[in-house]
Amino acid sequence: MASSTIDRGRRRRPAATIAIYAGVLAFAIWILLPVWYLVVSSLITPTQLGIKPFPLVPSSITLDNYASVLFGNTGGRGIGSTDMGARLVPAIGQSLFVSGCLVVLNLLIAGAAAYGLSRYPFRGARVFELSVIATRIVPAIAIIGPFFVAFRVMGVLNTPWALVISYNVFTLPLAIMILKNYFDQLPREIEEAAKIDGATRLQTLWIIIVPIAKPGLVAAGVLIFLEAWSEFFYALVLTNQLTVPPLLAGFQSVQQFNWNALAAATVMSMLPPTVLVLIFQRHVVGALTAGVGK
Amino acid sequence: MAAASDLSGLGPKADRAFGLKLVAPAMILLIALLAVPTVLTVVYSLHDVPANGASFGPFVGIENYTIIFASPVFWRSAQVTATFAIGFVVLSTVIGLAMALLLNQRFIGRGLARALLIIPWATPWLVIGILWKWFADGSVGGLNAVLMMLGLISDYQPFLSDPNTALPITVLAAVWRQASFAGILLLAGLQTLPEELHEAAGLDGANVWQRFTNITLPWLKPVLITVTVFNVIYAFLQFDVVFAMTQGGPGDTTQVLSVLIYRQLFVNTNIGLGSALAVILGVVALVGGLAIVRLFYRREVQ
Repeated sequence: MASSTIDRGRRRRPAATIAIYAGVLAFAIWILLPVWYLVVSSLITPTQLGIKPFPLVPSSITLDNYASVLFGNTGGRGIGSTDMGARLVPAIGQSLFVSGCLVVLNLLIAGAAAYGLSRYPFRGARVFELSVIATRIVPAIAIIGPFFVAFRVMGVLNTPWALVISYNVFTLPLAIMILKNYFDQLPREIEEAAKIDGATRLQTLWIIIVPIAKPGLVAAGVLIFLEAWSEFFYALVLTNQLTVPPLLAGFQSVQQFNWNALAAATVMSMLPPTVLVLIFQRHVVGALTAGVGK
Repeated sequence: MAAASDLSGLGPKADRAFGLKLVAPAMILLIALLAVPTVLTVVYSLHDVPANGASFGPFVGIENYTIIFASPVFWRSAQVTATFAIGFVVLSTVIGLAMALLLNQRFIGRGLARALLIIPWATPWLVIGILWKWFADGSVGGLNAVLMMLGLISDYQPFLSDPNTALPITVLAAVWRQASFAGILLLAGLQTLPEELHEAAGLDGANVWQRFTNITLPWLKPVLITVTVFNVIYAFLQFDVVFAMTQGGPGDTTQVLSVLIYRQLFVNTNIGLGSALAVILGVVALVGGLAIVRLFYRREVQ
């Protein structure tokens, strides 16, 4: 990091500079063109959308699409249940609820487990840790059947609890891996000092470790939120468009379909994860790469 | 409890017990939510399960598997999955590496460019599918608009309903996200590369390409392996992008195994067959899984 910010005064040849800026331009187009298309689509009218070629720089913009998916009607009048205007806000609420529950639960459960694995290894701890890593590889899609059957028997299909329970399949191993890595990097001296001062193990964990582990906990929390917010397959199968992703997917197959409105809803579904990651960029990238670069 | 652990606090046995206590909740949850459903899926795959899933139904042995391996639909889907996976892994890794190398150079606006790199990775897979479905759309799509303005096509092309272009476009959409993930990890790897190595090589007269192949690539090797393994895993997991863009169509040209499993389980409600397919996909992914675990393990031993 430091070495890359120090300018050593080495001059680049002009050809190399031109090549780099050409690359940067190509990179910006690759990332931004699809995003720009989405944002423009959400800000224009269906009439403007019909123009060929698509107006990449629209002559006028409107916020009507956002208003319609948030409060109003998106044109699916005859088929009330599929009207995005009535369902997006509740779906965002459900998505936030499910993601929030998982963040809190997983930080507690995975935090305890990761700390235990890092500081108090027991017989079989290593095997457990390797199994946790291995679970990230087994496709969650492959074990959806039993969840569907069990949740139907329990009567929790189409409730947020179906997702709060089943999402642990992928969020919990992720959180354990990231936090284990993080705890491994924390110095042990403070804990040893606390022990000499007579603190119990539990006191040490709560009073000393939790505060200094905050960056790791934040990073893990953001990544759990990201997974829960983005999850589509389980939500599609276990609920009736309860959260945002299956609602967006369902809206695509509605008869009186309107891409402008869907674009507005899609932009809104991208905002929470993107903003969160950009705010905590350093923590999150650090946590991601710590597990990899080791 | 606190007092008791204090008394024997120095003994490693009490430490181990405390560790086990901390891990127990996670362990119980993972057994209940991962081990049990995995076993049940295998059991389902050996039965002719009734559509409502209320019981296992009659035991049929490996009949579900023999049906699958005799089915051209399965082999067609396996072929689509393999094509998707190869394109996805190669492009994600290569584009990710190119982006990482670029963003490791000094240029004006580098901080902003690095923030841009994060956007596709933070975007939900399903949203990427929706975004690219409309971006590549044959009547209102932005891709067509750009190609037309560049004069590469004379009229809008229905990329996603054309059997020849549907699969490449879904691969491209998935790569758009995964290349960013690869780029983030590889860039972090590059940032730890000591600049002195390059300078020394430059003094020795090594050109850009020689420095890349002799210094940068070997330095990045561990990260590159990890990134590639991640890409392989995501290639087999992929459902959202294909489902949002084509639902497996046109025909079965984009029907990857995960979409086929979904159809068997929840459209045809054939739980036995669907579970057998799931087991096959799980085994394929697990082979890669064992490789990754060994990889992690070996590096830690060193």
